[in-house]
Amino acid sequence: MAVDETSRTFVHPLYGWLEKIPGLSVGLTTADAVLSWGLEHSLWVFPMATSCCGIEFMATMTSRFDMDQFGTFTRPTPRQCDVMVVAGTITVKMAPRVKRLWDMMPEPRWCVAMGSCAISGDFYRNLYAVVPGVDTFIPVDVYVPGCPPAPDHVHAGMHVLMEKIRQVRKGTFRPNADPAAREGLLRPSIPRIGDPDRDPALSRAQAEAAFRMDPGCQVTPRSEDERDVP
Amino acid sequence: MVDAHPSHEPVAPALVEVSGLSLPAAITHLPRPDPYLNVEDYEPEADAMALNMGPQHPSTHGVLRLKLFLDGEICFKAVPYVGYLHRGVEKLLENRTAIQSVPYVDKNDYVSPLTGELALVMAYEALLDVEPPPRAQVLRTILMELQRIASHHLWLGTFCLDMGGALGGGSSVFLYNFRERELILDLLEALTGQRMHYNALMVGGNRHDVPPGWEEKVLATMDRVEDRLAEYEAMTVDNHIFRSRTVGVGVLDPLLALEAGAGGANLRASGVDHDLRRDAPYAAYGQVDVRIPVETAGDCYARFLVRIAEMREAIRIVRLLVSGIPEGPIGALKPPRHVNAVKLPPGEVYVGIESPRGELGTYLISDGSPIPVRVKIRPPSLHAVSLLPYLCVGATVSDIVVILGSLDPILGEVDR
Repeated sequence: MAVDETSRTFVHPLYGWLEKIPGLSVGLTTADAVLSWGLEHSLWVFPMATSCCGIEFMATMTSRFDMDQFGTFTRPTPRQCDVMVVAGTITVKMAPRVKRLWDMMPEPRWCVAMGSCAISGDFYRNLYAVVPGVDTFIPVDVYVPGCPPAPDHVHAGMHVLMEKIRQVRKGTFRPNADPAAREGLLRPSIPRIGDPDRDPALSRAQAEAAFRMDPGCQVTPRSEDERDVP
Repeated sequence: MVDAHPSHEPVAPALVEVSGLSLPAAITHLPRPDPYLNVEDYEPEADAMALNMGPQHPSTHGVLRLKLFLDGEICFKAVPYVGYLHRGVEKLLENRTAIQSVPYVDKNDYVSPLTGELALVMAYEALLDVEPPPRAQVLRTILMELQRIASHHLWLGTFCLDMGGALGGGSSVFLYNFRERELILDLLEALTGQRMHYNALMVGGNRHDVPPGWEEKVLATMDRVEDRLAEYEAMTVDNHIFRSRTVGVGVLDPLLALEAGAGGANLRASGVDHDLRRDAPYAAYGQVDVRIPVETAGDCYARFLVRIAEMREAIRIVRLLVSGIPEGPIGALKPPRHVNAVKLPPGEVYVGIESPRGELGTYLISDGSPIPVRVKIRPPSLHAVSLLPYLCVGATVSDIVVILGSLDPILGEVDR
């Protein structure tokens, strides 16, 4: 790779790799770094869009947010894709289809769980028909929380994925070493109504009221004085 | 130029009287295919095959699965399978109080969440006998019409995308429509702080008041959206390819539409003049003279024309109302101090509103506790999907994609 230095007008990141010899500069890198660069900047996405998040994912692809600028591009078939973005609620009826489409994707492949429903089932999680999170049956690389996440957040999630691809190929991926590096890579723990391991700071009265609302529990009759607990 | 379909010409079409309704004679009493046809009995002319379309297919507008039985390229039987997005919303609402329920109905019709909210909130208001103040009513009407424009923008974009490369590279109309949809979402985001699931309404009024300068922004956006609407019409209305894909395709008999319970543009494109905004006014629709566009051809092109006219009408209503929002409070009730603080009176109530897809209804039964005993949501999209076994028969596979797109079903609403 030879670059003419005389036409240089701005400092491109590529110049960090250049070795200067008289007359010209030579770029030296490893084949692995080039492959990794190519991978992370041409992520073709299979949109596993089932519901609301799918609409926001469509918006992410359009002119204002323009995911194409990072080489991210949607294809409607899993055979050509690198990343599956699971956008929307996954029901018990849909889950086998999602697994089958995931199995159709060639290696290397990644999965992004977009939105609360794909992460944990959100407020449908205790329901008979909904799978509580897509990571119960396929491995998830990046979690993008929100209901639905704004397109900016999807951008941020794709950048976390790019960083992860780069680090994994370099062998420096250690999410447990640095808590700041785990942003987006681990399932977020969001305290939610009806969840037994929720934030203990919430008052006991609220917790009881919330549990009464839990569709998995039986609704108990309320007394008059209990009605207006602050 | 493709020859215009006879009923698209400006002459008044012949009408026929059926049980008190004047319906266009050319498309009434069309022969109906048998949706329960036994495939074994059918004798194909070319190769017969069964083709599975969906649940993951870019043209099924969600997770609809269609099983198509084909004779060569012509479909002779179509069976829609639903339930891939069943989230048990009705059951969940039977375990939630009014103030907790609104976020759930947001996710039903995720292309127009505000209409879903209004249908539920109005049912609770009818049960509790609460009348929102005039400011809230006018604001709600503006929100509904903004939502209708945004919803029809998304519909037009995906409808043209389904037709592939027909319109100068396929995705150009899609990208243009999302550009304008973002402008509407900006207005709603300025008001509610959310791009999609607004949670903007509550029993007795609205949750958010208008931020300063919002009205001027709305008027400026309406001007821009109206300008761009003319561009879309220039790209589609007289487009040779667009017309050849839509004119005469998927003709819907108005009697079938009425029997199936179809609503919205699907019904009005078949010559049935019915719109709850005018016939049973709610919110502030009584204050404006809502003009209802009606077409008589009943095909995909007529449905397209009705939706475009509805967008223009929505822009007109927003302009009329936004300059004269009355002063006053935006809620009739104080927000409850506790989720169980508001007890519902015993009784049952049904409220229907005109969503962008047709009549969206909520039916509540209460026994006197804070949570309802039964909640039933009547989704217009389910009734649109139930038309598919009739409309798909005799169409080619490429036409089926157009027919499905023109009916505008939202699968979150179908499966609930």
